[in-house]
Amino acid sequence: MVLFILRRLGQALIAIFGVMTLVFFIQRLTGDPTYLLVPETATQADIEAMRRSLGLDQPIIVQYMSFLRDIAQFDFGRSYVQRIPVTTIIASRLPYTLQLAGGALLVSFGLGVPLGVVMALWRDRPATKLLTGFVFASQSMPTFWSGILFILFFAVWLGWLPPSGAGGIENLILPSFALGLLSMATFARVTRTAMLDELSKDYVRSARARGVATPRLFWRHLARNAAIPVISVAALEISQLLAGAVIVETVFAWPGLGLLTVQSIVSRDFLVVQGIVLIGAFVTIALNFTADILYSVVDPRIRLDGSRP
Amino acid sequence: MVWKAGLIGAIAVAAAFAAPVDAQAKDVLTIDLVNEPSSLDPHGQWNPDSYYVYRNVFDNMVTRDNDGEIVPQVAESWERLSDTEVQFNLRDDITFHDGEPLTAEDVVYSVERITDPEFASPQLGQFDKIVKAEAKDDQTVVLTTDGPYPVLLPQLVKLSIVPKHVVEEVGAEEFNLKPVGSGPYVFEEWRRGVQVTLTRNEDYWGDKGAFATAVFRAVPDAATRLADLQSGAADLVVTLDSDQARQLETYPNAKPLIVQTERVGYFAMNSTKAPLDDVRIRRAIALAIDKEGIVEGILAGGEQVVGELVSPAHFGWVGDIEPFSYDPEEAKSLIAEVGEAAKTPMKLATSPVFDQKIVQAIQQMLTEVGLNVEIEMTDMATWLRNQQVSNEEAPMLTFSRWSCACQDADGIMFPLLRSGQSWSRWSSDEVDALLDRGRSSLDEAERLEAYGALHELVKEEVPLIPLYQAAIIYGGNEALEWMPTANESMFLNRMGWSE
Repeated sequence: MVLFILRRLGQALIAIFGVMTLVFFIQRLTGDPTYLLVPETATQADIEAMRRSLGLDQPIIVQYMSFLRDIAQFDFGRSYVQRIPVTTIIASRLPYTLQLAGGALLVSFGLGVPLGVVMALWRDRPATKLLTGFVFASQSMPTFWSGILFILFFAVWLGWLPPSGAGGIENLILPSFALGLLSMATFARVTRTAMLDELSKDYVRSARARGVATPRLFWRHLARNAAIPVISVAALEISQLLAGAVIVETVFAWPGLGLLTVQSIVSRDFLVVQGIVLIGAFVTIALNFTADILYSVVDPRIRLDGSRP
Repeated sequence: MVWKAGLIGAIAVAAAFAAPVDAQAKDVLTIDLVNEPSSLDPHGQWNPDSYYVYRNVFDNMVTRDNDGEIVPQVAESWERLSDTEVQFNLRDDITFHDGEPLTAEDVVYSVERITDPEFASPQLGQFDKIVKAEAKDDQTVVLTTDGPYPVLLPQLVKLSIVPKHVVEEVGAEEFNLKPVGSGPYVFEEWRRGVQVTLTRNEDYWGDKGAFATAVFRAVPDAATRLADLQSGAADLVVTLDSDQARQLETYPNAKPLIVQTERVGYFAMNSTKAPLDDVRIRRAIALAIDKEGIVEGILAGGEQVVGELVSPAHFGWVGDIEPFSYDPEEAKSLIAEVGEAAKTPMKLATSPVFDQKIVQAIQQMLTEVGLNVEIEMTDMATWLRNQQVSNEEAPMLTFSRWSCACQDADGIMFPLLRSGQSWSRWSSDEVDALLDRGRSSLDEAERLEAYGALHELVKEEVPLIPLYQAAIIYGGNEALEWMPTANESMFLNRMGWSE
């Protein structure tokens, strides 16, 4: 166990270092942010002065070394555009990202898993066909479209919820559904498949033959055994919810990290992008790690020395 | 159809419900911007989402009234002491929001701060002609320029006065987060990524605002801004296109607000390289572009075709130069005269910031008269760099829009036409002499004459092609009373509300 954790930590460090290096160089390959900061009328001398003050006049290797030095001291630098520390900017956005991811996860997990179970247990009933249709529709609607539909229907027409912005819980509902419905479909499908898989196994047949009632069968056996694939998918989906909310954030003017990422990439705010990527890499690695631990909790047959059945 | 009727009905119901709330609470004006301000330090950035907000928190040296005339603000009056010195007499009744009076010290500090290369203000280039600022007494400041500089006042429209004692005490970073100014609104709170809240300055020396509170929010998606306006969540929204303006006209509770700006759309050609070094080709391009078609068919948002490289909102607009007519036949015959050389492949540089409908239409128009034009799309930073390199590397063709934020011909014609300027692909002694006269003469009539002569030369030699004066479209609540201005400002104390 200890060995496993140490090895994973080592791998994580290497992965984060690789990601940071890649992001550092790729960003600088794409060009120079100075031109975006000054008005059209700026002279070459103004542009040079700006470049010097941002440290972009240094050779790229020198910039890279000082970047590594700063990162090692947890200094993420200052935004070129906003002129305040990157950590302040990210810290102000992170709570909103977590709220939205939490809301979306609640929708996707809370709806998706029960739907998947129902679709598997009663797979031959006509009502299930309707549910399947609903799941497919949720998966097929692009969020920029479903988002604006939600706004028009619930905010403009019915006037129940605010159309955009962040604030109270009422602001969170529409974006959570717009974002959550998409991964809801994934959860429903994976749960359904996993359940069907288990249902066809011998132990289920013999349990049924013994007269075990469906609820008991479900809670005692099926739920646990079908959980493994759902956990793997959850790890992936959560990291996607954290990173991939750009469109929903844009439509609902939700001030999360996704929106900040895109804006920072467009304005070449290198240090902000680097900070976000670092957090993203860290979260993804942490989630996968948690999923690995959870496997062994749910299914003791899986041991954490790297070998899986 | 049923859906639409239902929607309109629903809007009416929503409006009916929203109305009483509005009536009692119209002390809060909510404005949807595209992004949040990058900084509220008036010297620390250069973008509209920032200056829409901070121009209400700070007073400027001078300002423009709704007709575009320069009128006093912090400076009550001014007189020219010599070709390079102007004396400004300041109001004595301005106090900052912390209660301290605004004095000549603060003006001198503001000038020195924004022109300090170490501070690296993005606006440095707008003020670096000022070489000295000196306080004669508490209410008198003398600014010295590095030569006769007729555009000083138009530039000072954008010089926000910051309090020396606060900035020095708290430092630039803290000041950026909690700005203290002397303007009609006081900074209240900045919820990062969400909104900036300002409250009315009850002790303001000038016109006080009509709304007790103003909230500026960041709403990046235009469709969402429209929905906010429709549902009453926002009272004023920025940056709509003409389709959205037409949609607005069908809403019972909102209206489009359109203004012609000082931004000029133009088509630039690298006349240092074949085949564009031949004036016949440049003229052919000018004749092949259907300017009316672009303005009325594509933009359709109140733009005006111009024949000069300035707009009526600029000093230097003469107004008697006819735009090139749309004459593809004449263009074809000019191209035929030039012969094979005209077929040289040319790249039309663009970036997603520009309206691609226009870029594609121009490519189509040029292809139809027999030119070989290919669109080259890059991101904005790359596009900007490519515009500012040597003649040899610069793109052959460029569609662009230019604003100097000074409403003076010098700010647009000098960088685009003066030889040796990074944006300019033109080199002519005659043009240079006229541009220099326009930049240094303090006699308005002489300047106007110089720009008139330049407009004629531009029409004759076609170094680039003026296309149109750009418009911008805001959306406002039906009850909002506001006249947007050419310099894209948003002064809250010039707005009103009538149910």
